[in-house]
Amino acid sequence: MTDQAVSHQEGAAAAAPSTAQPASQPSGLDLVGLTKVFAGGTVAVDDVNLHVDHGEYVVLLGPSGCGKTTTLRMIGGHEYPTEGDILLDGQSLVDLPPHKRPTTTVFQHFALFPHRTSLQNVEFGLKMHGVSRTERRAEAMKALEMVGLETLHDRKPGALSGGQQQRVALARVLVTKPQALLLDEPLGDLDRLLQLRMRVELRELQRQLGLMFIHVTHNQEEALSMADRIVVMNDARIQQVADPLTIATKPATEVVARFMGDNNIVRGKVTQRDGDRLVVEDEQHVKASVHAPGARHAVGDPGMIAIRAAAVTVDADGSTAGELNSAECEIVFVEFLGDLVKLHLVAGGERMLAKVGAEEYPRLRGREGERIRISWREEDVQLLDS
Amino acid sequence: MSSSSIPEQVGAGAVPPPQAHRGKRRRRDRESGWVTAALAAPGFLWIGFYLIAPLVIIVLVSFWTWTDAGFDKTLTTANYRELFNDSTYWENMLSTVITSAIAVVACLVLGFPVAYFLALKVQSLRIQIALFIIALAPFWTSFLTRAIAWTFPLMGREGALNQVLIKLQIISEPLPELGFSTLSVRLAMIQLYILFMITPLFFTLAQVDRSALESARDLGANWWGTFREVILPQTMPGIVIGSIFIFVLTMGDYGTVATVGGGNITSVGTLINSKIGAVQYPQGAASAVLLVIVLLAGVWGITRFANLREEL
Repeated sequence: MTDQAVSHQEGAAAAAPSTAQPASQPSGLDLVGLTKVFAGGTVAVDDVNLHVDHGEYVVLLGPSGCGKTTTLRMIGGHEYPTEGDILLDGQSLVDLPPHKRPTTTVFQHFALFPHRTSLQNVEFGLKMHGVSRTERRAEAMKALEMVGLETLHDRKPGALSGGQQQRVALARVLVTKPQALLLDEPLGDLDRLLQLRMRVELRELQRQLGLMFIHVTHNQEEALSMADRIVVMNDARIQQVADPLTIATKPATEVVARFMGDNNIVRGKVTQRDGDRLVVEDEQHVKASVHAPGARHAVGDPGMIAIRAAAVTVDADGSTAGELNSAECEIVFVEFLGDLVKLHLVAGGERMLAKVGAEEYPRLRGREGERIRISWREEDVQLLDS
Repeated sequence: MSSSSIPEQVGAGAVPPPQAHRGKRRRRDRESGWVTAALAAPGFLWIGFYLIAPLVIIVLVSFWTWTDAGFDKTLTTANYRELFNDSTYWENMLSTVITSAIAVVACLVLGFPVAYFLALKVQSLRIQIALFIIALAPFWTSFLTRAIAWTFPLMGREGALNQVLIKLQIISEPLPELGFSTLSVRLAMIQLYILFMITPLFFTLAQVDRSALESARDLGANWWGTFREVILPQTMPGIVIGSIFIFVLTMGDYGTVATVGGGNITSVGTLINSKIGAVQYPQGAASAVLLVIVLLAGVWGITRFANLREEL
């Protein structure tokens, strides 16, 4: 009931600007041709274009050095773009110093002031904006209550745990009422269990506040679990922008498919074309069909496809499935992961991966070296841009 | 065997008897206690021999009297009574305190930008170290050489400063204040001791988390706000250490005063030195004890100031 109500409201809010206001009243954050070239010629960010709505949770995802942090630092004003523009509701931010921007950043290692108590850390932004002592104390206390730390208001960061420091860092930026919150690897310093909990807390907080969050991470799972939209970056460029389900199941490029992991990438030639349906076959005779509307491939062109490991099934012994969307493999290693089993396979010379439920483990255990047949459905095959 | 039995016996003496025979773990604890003691001993001996013992002796001597036959060891406060009525001593004490205070403040004001630039503005560690070594360069020459450089080559009637001012027609004849004067001594002290301020400032500034500075800017602080609220409080230990160094060193200084002052200028240090030179050991000792008390008060004042600043 409540879920429906919330999603309905969100839908209405998202639809409102486009109907009520024409394009002359831009809303949200726009990155236009954003480029950063460091002294020495390293291109850190190359022609990034992105629109983020108010209230949207966007995750910039990519391997280290892909330009995601530099992009965030440019939005926050800590790096000056070489080219391009950053617009918030149509107003350029590029020439504003960080302290005059309506954005605030949660830095990677929290960057709390070690000589100040949590309350003093939180009230800092208000103090710098000239808010009176009693008023800012009350505001800061409210922010600490919001993150559940009011009892620890007189502790210094050194006497707080990682998770508590993280919450102080959050309260400290939220108290300044930014229009966009920028988070640089906010969960990177926490241990795994705390990470899982903070994911939920952070997302809940964002939903309550209805604020734009831009979150940088190299952790695929974190991105999938938290984002409304994921921006996958690699080598200074955007690879794909999509919702988590699409990123996970329909990677657009080889880079995305490889970075998201657990994808079987088959690089071969298009051997058949039947309308929107292509068949790709590689040198090891792994053959897969894919439904790819709009693909411009002709028979004989090189083609690359991704098959999600989780969509691969192990056929019952003695199955007589056809050659298409199926392969005979040798088991290299059966990896048990608690709630699932990862099968490392070789089909011809091609390494393949299948993820099956843990209930299959008794049947598969100790069968390294044996041959089995795997298959997958056409819907789980994705044609990649090379 | 015999060599190992010695620490064993002493160790057993240090630990209460009922626990002495229990297991290997306890033995290891006891051995590590000995290692700690052995490592700490040189330091203790050093401080005991070179600091505590001389201080005790000086305090003791300050209550004696010097006669032609040697020390009269009956305890008397006569030396102190005499000193309290000696206006020359207190005038010198006051002027020395002023000199030291000027040196502390001037070294802080002049040294902070240098340390700030080195620690926070220079990005490359290699350049940082290179510049730091260049800043150290004047200190590779001896103290006396630098002090003498402040006399006739730089200051003095015919010194460079007077000559330049005359050439620029700012003054028509040499200013006596730029000769063997209190002003010369005070100026010289700033240059001679400033590194004792720059060094601790540099090391504390280098430890300030740069991302905390970025986050201060991000939260709405301008340069001054960041400096006052984030940099300065975290640099306080360096400021205190540097100030104590300079205060203590300049209060006790008599070499600079004697050289740059050319014998015209006196300080508490030169007074004590002349008393010792005149074999007035108990008088000198009493003067020194009073100096130590003023020093302690000054050090207390400096730390107090730092605490006050922190509470604001």
